[in-house]
Amino acid sequence: MKISLTLNGAPRELDSAPLVRLLDALRGPLGLTGTKEGCGEGECGSCTVLLDGDPVNACLVPIGQCEGRAITTVEGLGEMAHLSPLQRCFIDEGGAQCGICTPGMLISAEALLRRVPDPDEPTIREALAGNLCRCTGYQRIVESVRRAAELLREGAAR
Amino acid sequence: MSLADLHFFKMTREPSLDALCAVVAERHAQGLATILYAGGTDWMVEQEMRAPLHDEPPLVVDIGRMGELRGISLAGDSLRIGAGTTYLELERSAVVQARAPMLVRMAKDVGAVQIQARGTLGGNLATASPAADGVAALAAYDATIVVKSARGERRIAMADLQTGYKKSTRAADEIIVAVELAPPPEGSPWYWRKVGARRAQAISKVALAGVAVVENGTATRFGVGMVSVAPVTARMATTRALVLGKALAEITAEEIDHAVDQDVTPIDDVRSTGEYRSHVARALTRDLLRQLGARV
Ligand SMILES: Cc1cc2nc3c(=O)[nH]c(=O)nc-3n(C[C@H](O)[C@H](O)[C@H](O)COP(=O)(O)OP(=O)(O)OC[C@H]3O[C@@H](n4cnc5c(N)ncnc54)[C@H](O)[C@@H]3O)c2cc1C
Ligand code: FES
Ligand code: FES
Repeated sequence: MKISLTLNGAPRELDSAPLVRLLDALRGPLGLTGTKEGCGEGECGSCTVLLDGDPVNACLVPIGQCEGRAITTVEGLGEMAHLSPLQRCFIDEGGAQCGICTPGMLISAEALLRRVPDPDEPTIREALAGNLCRCTGYQRIVESVRRAAELLREGAAR
Repeated sequence: MSLADLHFFKMTREPSLDALCAVVAERHAQGLATILYAGGTDWMVEQEMRAPLHDEPPLVVDIGRMGELRGISLAGDSLRIGAGTTYLELERSAVVQARAPMLVRMAKDVGAVQIQARGTLGGNLATASPAADGVAALAAYDATIVVKSARGERRIAMADLQTGYKKSTRAADEIIVAVELAPPPEGSPWYWRKVGARRAQAISKVALAGVAVVENGTATRFGVGMVSVAPVTARMATTRALVLGKALAEITAEEIDHAVDQDVTPIDDVRSTGEYRSHVARALTRDLLRQLGARV
């Protein structure tokens, strides 16, 4: 089945069996290994990507359902030379350790900040509740997101 | 594990609900199953646990964008919610927020945002698990389910839907189109409380959904649905009768506990024990009735 979709802002086409998981299509034929697999059953959030702007678990989405839709992965947030404020803050505030959960955390946080520019701590924790981290204890992740929100608001005000 | 089998499935889309009914009917007549892929949050997880395929895999039809299964509308006294509506869409809907706020509250407790963005009411009703939060919320609203097949459309009252563990009166070739409910007047009291291992991503150990209309200290409408305390979603007939039968202030804690004990038959399983569930079932019901004005 030929599938056309928008991936990180650019049109892409691939030929795939329709029930192949978006996660496997991304990491395989589409060549984007930033998205990680943890549990493979919707529990851990390490495979989180944006589907038309909302966070979803790429391990539960078949590629065939992505026809005509827009996917954003962690690679779409920034580049090595130009990290996004969220990416910058996860580094500066210690929001990432081993890094397995980080792409999913960044995507869930990105979805939150697009809708809520000034989230309080419970709102941040709720938005990240579907993303598990075994390293950081979460507090530094929450602080990274809060700091990024500040930077984004300062940028918007300038 | 049989995720590798995913390569062998075919997936189609149908141009209309009638065309979908025809495909499902034709396959059903040949003894072939059709998977309706909505959010896949139940189906995809099941695949991982399934034994490897030996025969031709069932046809998968993507119903994720079928127009006739989508949309939320209020007409007169009836709120109609398409079966393809996701939990996130419920949360964002102004009319659901205003007229069926308990559904919004329930939706926020399903999985986490990633599940809410994909999981649908139709999928929750189709699986018809006693652990399904959406089913309990719709039971409390005494909703009606609209189903359609090549034989035509019919309505199933929530009270008649489940017949046993994950068993329902919906025929295998019937597609869930929408749910309809009569919303209580705006501002009426409602209740949703879910008890799980953690706040998010937890299947309910017990959850209680309630809606009521109270006039002069007496409930004139009272609906409840309880999760994971019986083989089917508990509609709590004894408790309903107790509450509708006398002034709320006269209902005693003993009467509530007694009624709840009649209404639930919880078991021990991986998530909890029957004893704990019985305790929580009584506590949640008292909490709900306290909020309505019972002195318990
Ligand atoms: C991590 C995780 C957390 C979860 N947490 C919760 C929770 O807190 N509470 C809860 O209740 N559930 C929970 N679930 C279960 C699941 O998300 C819900 O039951 C959801 O509503 C299923 O909807 P779906 O669209 O994803 O179903 P799908 O997986 O797409 O479909 C499930 C079944 O229903 C059939 N079907 C789908 N739509 C229709 C239709 N319109 N007509 C007829 N048949 C149809 C399909 O053929 C399939 O057999 C969770 C799941 C996961 C993976
Ligand atoms: S790998 Fe998708 S949620 Fe864990
Ligand atoms: S940084 Fe290791 S799991 Fe989160």
